[in-house]
Amino acid sequence: MSAPALSARGLARHYGGVAALRGVDLDLVPGEIRGLIGPNGAGKSTLVDVLSGRAPGSGGSVRLFGQDITGLGPAARRHAGLARSFQRTSIFPALPVGAQLDLAARRVGATDAPRLLDELDLARLAAVPAEQTAYGDQRRLDLALALVGPPRVLLLDEPAAGLTAEESLALADRLRELARARGVTVLLVEHDMEVVFRICERITVLELGAILAEGTPQEIRRHPEVVRAYLGSAAA
Amino acid sequence: MSGAGRIAAGALATAAAGPAIAALVPPGVLLSLLAQACIYAILALSVGVLARQNGMVSFGHAAMFGAGAYLAGIGLGAPGLLPAEAALPLAVLAVAAVCFGLGLIVVRVHGIAFAMLTLALGQACFEAANKARGVTGGADGLTVALPREIFGLPAATFQWAEGMFLIAWLAMVALAALAALLARSRFGLLTEAIRENEERARFLGYGTVLPRAAVFALSGGIAAAGGVLYVLYNGFVSPETVHWSVSGSALIMALLGGTRTVWGPLAGAAVYFLLREQLVEVTERWLGLLGILLVLVMVFLPDGLSGLPRRLRRQRGAEA
Ligand SMILES: Nc1ncnc2c1ncn2[C@@H]1O[C@H](COP(=O)(O)OP(=O)(O)OP(=O)(O)O)[C@@H](O)[C@H]1O
Ligand SMILES: [Mg+2]
Repeated sequence: MSAPALSARGLARHYGGVAALRGVDLDLVPGEIRGLIGPNGAGKSTLVDVLSGRAPGSGGSVRLFGQDITGLGPAARRHAGLARSFQRTSIFPALPVGAQLDLAARRVGATDAPRLLDELDLARLAAVPAEQTAYGDQRRLDLALALVGPPRVLLLDEPAAGLTAEESLALADRLRELARARGVTVLLVEHDMEVVFRICERITVLELGAILAEGTPQEIRRHPEVVRAYLGSAAA
Repeated sequence: MSGAGRIAAGALATAAAGPAIAALVPPGVLLSLLAQACIYAILALSVGVLARQNGMVSFGHAAMFGAGAYLAGIGLGAPGLLPAEAALPLAVLAVAAVCFGLGLIVVRVHGIAFAMLTLALGQACFEAANKARGVTGGADGLTVALPREIFGLPAATFQWAEGMFLIAWLAMVALAALAALLARSRFGLLTEAIRENEERARFLGYGTVLPRAAVFALSGGIAAAGGVLYVLYNGFVSPETVHWSVSGSALIMALLGGTRTVWGPLAGAAVYFLLREQLVEVTERWLGLLGILLVLVMVFLPDGLSGLPRRLRRQRGAEA
């Protein structure tokens, strides 16, 4: 059996007395788009932070295609093939959109920056400083910075945060195309259930820092505890 | 024309203006003032490079300026050991090297904490210059006799207002051009990205400490080059040169002119010296008036005087 694209074992993280992650195991199959859902404060961003090396874990290990990356910092993890985006837009405000994508591409020896600008509708903004672009453009730039390369595994923390429902769905469809075409494995944190059910083959549900359920969209929709904890009656 | 071509053309045109200025200005006090202004403009440039590329505000650059002056002075005082042609560049390189090592540590400190750290380190250098009498001459300072010739020029050239004005002007233009070329290089883009969002740069796979330390070293080297010219011109350096008030003036020049552009601090130095000249005639409180001007500029032109063209262009764009 081939190694999982990303494999986490027993990930833990505390903030003071608060346990944000309590022993999370996660395996991503190469090429899949995995949804990660859970109520506010469930620990989704914390999990992405620990996986990406932003926050040190207080226990557990992370492997990327079999390679132990637990001790690596963010830059080394990017070189190993792991990239991420941020829940709160994280770009380079004063720099032109095209220049920042070039910067990202150059570091990993990628040549797909111009194509990605096109595919994410950013080409017309290439010369414009990011701070002068619309919020939606900035969100797509944040995604482009993570997707350029492409990386082998991509962690996306609510890439559609702050977008309208329509924009979210459009971005999701684009994301699915791009990830498929590039063979990127994706972990997608997303609040919008419609988005998750639309593009994810499997979904993991996090609650209070632990995994509550995992399964196909159909299974998750029917899972009694998930319905109780998160989806509520509205989605049932 | 390409960006690099524009920089080269601008630098050549500005360099050519030097002799014209020297010819127009009557020799004497004013030209001597201009020579000093160019030397301090180099210090302001170094403060601006650090602010522009690294987003760091330094209150301690007089230490690098003074270190360049002292090292050059000590080197010139021991002609048997080193020819002046080697001692002067070595003084600059030594300061840059120390700044690189120091930079590996201090660039991890951000914002106001960094400013305070540079203030403290600068004052430590001031104390050291005072205390190390054997090397620096202590509070009495170090008097430096120039060798008969340096780089083929008679020593008197360096201590004659017109000669030093031209030398300092050319050095200032060359260093500014170097900084401008750096700013638009890949390395410059990377340091700006780190300035804008260091965390994201790390997640793109970049180490962020080395580039920031390299900028710190470059900035220190530019300041030291100013110090070398200072000691050549004055034939003297004392702890006053390392005092925090010198760092403060350089910072005022840089902020007045604005650090978004490489040339902003040079414009700031010009305004600073010309205004000081006028204000000193009128009142002893010239520094206070200059302070008020700085506050007004910061409030109404946060990008400094060099931000004015850009702002006007935008306003015109908004009205159109
Ligand atoms: N920097 C921090 N300091 C202290 N506590 C934190 C910090 N970051 C997160 N937490 C806590 O850790 C828990 C998990 O937070 P996290 O941001 O991972 O949740 P999330 O699932 O991403 O939530 P959301 O859906 O709101 O983005 C919460 O209880 C939160 O309050
Ligand atoms: Mg979150």
